[in-house]
Amino acid sequence: MKLGKRWLPAHVLVWTYAVLLVVPLYYFLASAFKSNDAIFDRPFAPPTSLGLHNFRTAFESADLGLAIVNSGLVTVFSLALTLLLAVPAAFALARSTGRTAGLIEKVFSLGFLIPTFAALFPTFLLAAATGLFHTRAFMVLFLPATALPLSVVILVQFMRTVPAEMEEAARLDGASTFAVLRHVYAPMCLPGIATVLLLNFLTFWNEYLYSLVIIGPDPAQRTVQVALPTLKSITGTDYGVLTAGTVLTLVPVWLVYTVLQKRMQQALVSGAVKM
Amino acid sequence: MTTLTTTPDGTAARRPVPPSAPAARSTPRQGGTVLAVPALVWYLVFMVGPMIAIFVIAALHWPGMLQPVSFAGWGNVRTVLDDPVFWDAVANTAVQLAVAVPVMIVCAYMLGYYVAQRPPGHRVIRYLLFIPGLISTPAKAMVFYAALSPDGLVNGALQGVGLGSLTDAWLASPSTALACLIALDVWSGIGFTAVLFAARLNSVPGELGEAAQLDGAGHWRTMWTVHFPVIRDYVGVVTMLQFLWTLFGSAQHVLLLTQGGPGTSSTTLSFLVYQKAFIAADLGYSQTVGVFLFLTGLVGLLAIRRVFRQTY
Repeated sequence: MKLGKRWLPAHVLVWTYAVLLVVPLYYFLASAFKSNDAIFDRPFAPPTSLGLHNFRTAFESADLGLAIVNSGLVTVFSLALTLLLAVPAAFALARSTGRTAGLIEKVFSLGFLIPTFAALFPTFLLAAATGLFHTRAFMVLFLPATALPLSVVILVQFMRTVPAEMEEAARLDGASTFAVLRHVYAPMCLPGIATVLLLNFLTFWNEYLYSLVIIGPDPAQRTVQVALPTLKSITGTDYGVLTAGTVLTLVPVWLVYTVLQKRMQQALVSGAVKM
Repeated sequence: MTTLTTTPDGTAARRPVPPSAPAARSTPRQGGTVLAVPALVWYLVFMVGPMIAIFVIAALHWPGMLQPVSFAGWGNVRTVLDDPVFWDAVANTAVQLAVAVPVMIVCAYMLGYYVAQRPPGHRVIRYLLFIPGLISTPAKAMVFYAALSPDGLVNGALQGVGLGSLTDAWLASPSTALACLIALDVWSGIGFTAVLFAARLNSVPGELGEAAQLDGAGHWRTMWTVHFPVIRDYVGVVTMLQFLWTLFGSAQHVLLLTQGGPGTSSTTLSFLVYQKAFIAADLGYSQTVGVFLFLTGLVGLLAIRRVFRQTY
């Protein structure tokens, strides 16, 4: 279909929104290299030098280095546990035709409709009761639970595409159930596993409210998302430092997005089309 | 945001039993369902258990973590309903939902349709639309803080074009604080939702639109009378999820940007749950509002489902 002249307003509106998405990011990136005076005088001018002064201040005043390590630890261990739980579950649900399996799948599907925020306080009590309050360990145990509905549903869809003959052939060779999972299903579902990893990487790395409440503000434990807003009060209105800190927390996400851009967009989009 | 990407598929085609296998060796799929148990247990302990606990705590009189707990029955409900702050929060949440969700969905649908037509530059647009889906809530809040604080980007731009008289302390002014939060919802919600709609619209057969064009329908009519009915149920699902995220997720934005103030002008229901639990230490009150929030979510979901029910 051709887009005629009457589409001009549409073009203008869409690109305006695109500019609204880009400008703040540009402003952040530029300001991260500028002093406060330069930011206020000419907010949109490119930085005159690429000094890392603001980044250093952000690093030191909010302990961002340690916070990035903490975030990394929580994210990696949570991802591992998510896979450990979700892959066998999806394997079981995809192969089974029983009524119990159908019911379990329903339970996970309904999980989409439970917003994680709702149970913030009871989860806080659970952390206190298990003696894991103010630890990263509780987040590592907790985050996979929030990710299970999405992960299980995606993986089940992928595992249903594995032909039954593959499993029969393996069975004839005397493979156990576990061997079937490990050598037949897991390798064939690598794209699905990658999708689950990417989506959950984003969620885990970006998680804020639970990390704030459960891990708390202790600089030795807190994640980068919790450390970031403290820059606002520590530095007052030093925008250079504030923006430098924000840019730092975005770097890992941008790295992954840029390297795996195709894969990531596909992951998000294919999941959506599949409904 | 990422929970938007898939939706329950429920009854996807079960793999047919291979007809070739004779009865002799028909023990292929056993020893399976047990493997789903750890995930299920995990899910019940960390998600469903706390959900149920909300209802229990709502019936308790619990004035602080280390204070004695007593049964309150409907006491909390009465306290909450008599509290003007609660009603302020209800009003703010109602405004927020009524403005943010429809604006977001309508804009995202049109934007998604636009991208699906593959106009010049659609690749760039598509790339940019992912941005709000990638950055964390605190980072988004920092963006809005830098833009809206008294010496921030918006005021700077206004002064730059000679409209200095319009500058305001946007986040600290009772008349604009809530509007700022709604702007944040809309700004970050449109992009990713549009990507979802675009992907869905791409799976609509092209002939459908072409046929409508041959009949003389413009894009505006094609968009709303041809394509919209086809993906109506999908729009409904996305609306449900965005509704839930706006309803429950606003606590983080409020906490980071306005702390519910000035006064109660930007206190939303979900922030009230947070504030009463972790700042005011009135736990029964907090979870009673939590129950209310939960019920609002449920009623909203059912209402949205009704509105978007497939009509053909």
